[in-house]
Amino acid sequence: MAVAHTYAPPRRLPRLKLRAFEPWLYLAPAVTVLLMWTYVPLLQAFELSFYEWNMLPRSQPRYVGLDNYVNLLTLPDMKRAVVNTILYTTGLLPLSVGVPLVIAILTSDLRGPMRNIYRAIIFVPMIVAPIVAAIVWRWLLNEDHGLVNALLQHVGFNAIGFLRDPQIALWTLVWITGWKLIGFSTLLFAAADSAINPTYFEAARMDGASRWQVLRDIRLPLLSPTILLLTMMTFLFGAQWSFVYINALTGGGPLGSTTNVYYLMWEYGFMTMSAGWSTAAGILVFTVLGVVSLGCLASMKRLAVYDD
Amino acid sequence: MTTKSRPPHVAAHAVMLLLSFIALFPVYWMFQTSFRASNEIFSSALWPNAPTLDNYRAVLATMPILGILQNTFLMAATTTLAQVVTGLLAAWALVRWTFPGGRIAHTLIALSWLVPFQVVMIPNYVLATKMGLLDSIAGLVIPNAAAAFTMLVIYNAMRGFPRAVIEAARMDGAGSLRTLMGVVAPNIRAPLASVSILCFISAWNDYFWPLLLIRRVENSVVQIGLQFFMTQEGNDWGLLMAAATLASLPILLIYLVLQRQVVDSFIKSGVR
Repeated sequence: MAVAHTYAPPRRLPRLKLRAFEPWLYLAPAVTVLLMWTYVPLLQAFELSFYEWNMLPRSQPRYVGLDNYVNLLTLPDMKRAVVNTILYTTGLLPLSVGVPLVIAILTSDLRGPMRNIYRAIIFVPMIVAPIVAAIVWRWLLNEDHGLVNALLQHVGFNAIGFLRDPQIALWTLVWITGWKLIGFSTLLFAAADSAINPTYFEAARMDGASRWQVLRDIRLPLLSPTILLLTMMTFLFGAQWSFVYINALTGGGPLGSTTNVYYLMWEYGFMTMSAGWSTAAGILVFTVLGVVSLGCLASMKRLAVYDD
Repeated sequence: MTTKSRPPHVAAHAVMLLLSFIALFPVYWMFQTSFRASNEIFSSALWPNAPTLDNYRAVLATMPILGILQNTFLMAATTTLAQVVTGLLAAWALVRWTFPGGRIAHTLIALSWLVPFQVVMIPNYVLATKMGLLDSIAGLVIPNAAAAFTMLVIYNAMRGFPRAVIEAARMDGAGSLRTLMGVVAPNIRAPLASVSILCFISAWNDYFWPLLLIRRVENSVVQIGLQFFMTQEGNDWGLLMAAATLASLPILLIYLVLQRQVVDSFIKSGVR
């Protein structure tokens, strides 16, 4: 065998050339899909944002320059959607970061079988389909017959129009979006917390540090990568996560009180059939998201404390 | 660990019990409402007096739910398979070779995660129409056949694989594909399994793309089937809850069996 190997003919040149393409053969499927369905469409969206087009196959897009952008920035629709998007995002932060962080710290000493049972239960909302969550909460919060209002009336309050009152509907949708996240975030914090080297706590205790000092100077800094990660996820995706609930439960109403930029794009695109407006809004949102995520990444590098 | 006796964690248990209640009660309420006859649908009792399967019979009669569940299963399984295969191949290219353009390809794949679907939905819709993918399962799978997240998880798992073993396989004359399938992939089975679970659940629960693509209820997936159903049956709560329960059952069963693995794979994806 070894002898045969010695007499093997030397590698031919064409084969060597082929080698340079080899990694690209492996990359091709993934890159093709992403180019076809993400990057080229992104460029097309940018192009479309300068046109007026009703998306009917036989109609021709008409070039309108910056009109779509000017209209978006001057008409009240976009302004309200932007304000609501900020409300969705900031309203979600306590549910996706604040409360879970507090819970994870309060329960960090829990051990034993109960811990695993809690873990299994509080994760459930994460795997429930968004539309199922929408339907179930629509039933629980129903104005006339829902359980929550039945209880409220039982203790003497008036029924609340959770999805019908323009003052409240947005917060109801924030709650449903957050309901799916609280458990997951809590588990993420708990995992990060239990990864902290316990000798730090011992050392601090020996030095006579108070519980508060341990929390402020050891726990929170070492949890900061997770805090920043979840904050960034909420900034980038919070308003997108709410889309299902807007579409399934309120349709942006009542009185436009629950719409946000993602819902606005959907309305422009597939209800009023103005592709130019929808894509222009999309490009604006994408630009802002890009800036926000760069900011988040920069602050993650600067603020996060790593244990290494 | 410490010799000091700890106080009973009453507060911690109280907090966890409350959180567990908030997480589970809505699901429980869906479940129990689905067994209620219409005459006691508005009762606040925790369990129906006379549980009935009527709502399930009515759902099966008014909506092709079994076909829809089959469509959803087919869609989620194919999407998962496609994402894992494309992710595995792409990750292998980036781990095995250092080559010009490699970094760019890596960044290109990773950043695709930042493009919100709503921004590209119109061009995607136009493309799907041109390719004749409207109202089809293939149309649901093809645009999702590769995903940044899946590729990155596999890439990170693969990078931890000992370089020396890859080199040894190469010395033995194994081609790159054989090294991948015979040596590397079997050794990262655990991360592959957990990323598959994540893919499957998120494909199953996907809402927006099917919403755009699917026209007829026979071709739909559960999320959209439920949406149709909600618009049609409005406030027939027993029926809606039975449909929602049927739609959630497969995922909840997977969760019941693989509870540990599911939670762990979500957590690991978060603390990546």
